[in-house]
Amino acid sequence: MEKQGNRRSFLEIATAFIGGVLSLAAGIPLIGFAISPAFKKGESKWVDLGLAGRLKNSRFKKVDYTFTAKDGWVKATKKRSVYVTDAGNGEWSVFSRTCSHLGCLVRWDEKQESFLCPCHGAIFDKNGAVVAGPPPDPLQKLETKVEAGILYVKET
Amino acid sequence: MRQFLSERLPLTEFSEHLRKPLPKHINLLFSLGSLAMFLLLLQAATGAFLALYYSPSPEHAHNAVTYISEEVPFGAFVRGLHHWGASAMVIIVFLHLLRVVLYGSYKAPRELTWIFGVLLLLVVLGFGFTGYLLPWDEKAYWATVVGVEIASTAPVLGDFVAKVMRGGTEIGAVTLSRFYALHTIWLPWLAFGLVGVHLFFVRYYGSSGTPQNTPEDMKMGKPFYPHQVFEDVVGMFILFVVLACVALFVPVPLEDVADPTNADYDPRPEWYFLFLFQLLKYFQGPLEIIGTFVIPTVGMVLLLLLPFLDRSERAVLWKRPIALTVTSVSVAAIVGLTILGASSPKLETQEAPQPTAETENTLLTEAVEEAEEVFDFQLTEEEIEGTEGGAEVFDFQLTEEEIEGAREVKQESQ
Repeated sequence: MEKQGNRRSFLEIATAFIGGVLSLAAGIPLIGFAISPAFKKGESKWVDLGLAGRLKNSRFKKVDYTFTAKDGWVKATKKRSVYVTDAGNGEWSVFSRTCSHLGCLVRWDEKQESFLCPCHGAIFDKNGAVVAGPPPDPLQKLETKVEAGILYVKET
Repeated sequence: MRQFLSERLPLTEFSEHLRKPLPKHINLLFSLGSLAMFLLLLQAATGAFLALYYSPSPEHAHNAVTYISEEVPFGAFVRGLHHWGASAMVIIVFLHLLRVVLYGSYKAPRELTWIFGVLLLLVVLGFGFTGYLLPWDEKAYWATVVGVEIASTAPVLGDFVAKVMRGGTEIGAVTLSRFYALHTIWLPWLAFGLVGVHLFFVRYYGSSGTPQNTPEDMKMGKPFYPHQVFEDVVGMFILFVVLACVALFVPVPLEDVADPTNADYDPRPEWYFLFLFQLLKYFQGPLEIIGTFVIPTVGMVLLLLLPFLDRSERAVLWKRPIALTVTSVSVAAIVGLTILGASSPKLETQEAPQPTAETENTLLTEAVEEAEEVFDFQLTEEEIEGTEGGAEVFDFQLTEEEIEGAREVKQESQ
């Protein structure tokens, strides 16, 4: 009787063990397959915004630009939008329009001399610092360079 | 045939089970669960047919939805049923939940029925969130941007979860195919599994009835079949007629194709997420996480654990003061925030003045002269002055190397 009980508990443990191994053997690659994009690092590259001369003396000018990047299996044309300011002394300020709160596009308002977010009421000053609203961080200022008369921003 | 089946299947037991008596005191509100299940089936059916024409890629999704709405016979109607059915589903599920709270039906022994019901509520919201990316219009794109960013604010794993949801660092082709798979395969399987378990518990414990039922009353009512089933079917019919009328007469919105640079678009989520959208405005700076993570998570956990937190005697809601207060405040907050969110004014801004036309013209002339010199052509005055011609030339951006290369080619050819 005791022998039969031992055999039964062995069978129970063995069934659970085989079931567990099967689940892991199938589950690990499947989960890895699904979450793998989270481990891919984005590449940064310089993208041209156009002739620096054309943007000379710009004041919070909205500039849209495109560049190609890999999006999964697609070589996609990505669209971006920034605000460009030229201090006139070769110092360019290029602000990302992506609100640091939840990713909506901010707009420059000349009356308030501020960037305003249409989603949750965030306000950033002309240097991108948070003045009001929920964002925890300032607006991102993109790295710039001018080469051969072309203004480039670093796309990350 | 009947004999053939009854020899092989427990038809008699099944028939007896269907005719089990309901509690004596029961009312029309007890049909809300059946209406929710009907809507789930209607969504599954209309969704399966919409999938015949849909293509989950950024290049084709918007065109496919336009094609369904404008060219496929009954396309606008089927899409209308699916779109408005989603809103109806949220309303009916919410009312069903309120009915359960009203009569304290979540109390022992029905705690598990409640828990699986709350999980179904989450799945319904998941259907909503994954579904409205699929048309790939402005609303789809921006609501998803904001929704995924909300997930990214969760502590420790937030950024990772957001990347898994997007399938990378930004919304794109991978995101759309993910959301499509979730919306049409993962969530339906999950939903039908959860509905199965939920229904099993409903049938196993029987309908709770209203709290005025005595233990004797619980088996003194009319049989489930055909009485309750008849009421449910009438409810489904009325609901379908209403939905069909809305689908016929109220066009389903489809905004312009998603544009990540659209300067004039004010992102707003679907109406059933507006309360969360509005809530986020009140938590600033380091407190942001309270609106994006703490309140929604704590709210859901409390909802799941409600049967274990509310240990009072089963009674109608107004005889349970604490439950009544919490429910009233929660419903008022959700409705109030939704109204505030819906009435948020459109943002008006004024652009900054840019360099004068004179400067622009000088630059244009320089660019034209440069191009004429390199490529040996002459623009007419009309072409230079024409806005389109000017813009074309103006957008003609060659690097110094390219200009130098072109000069060399030109010199060699001379």
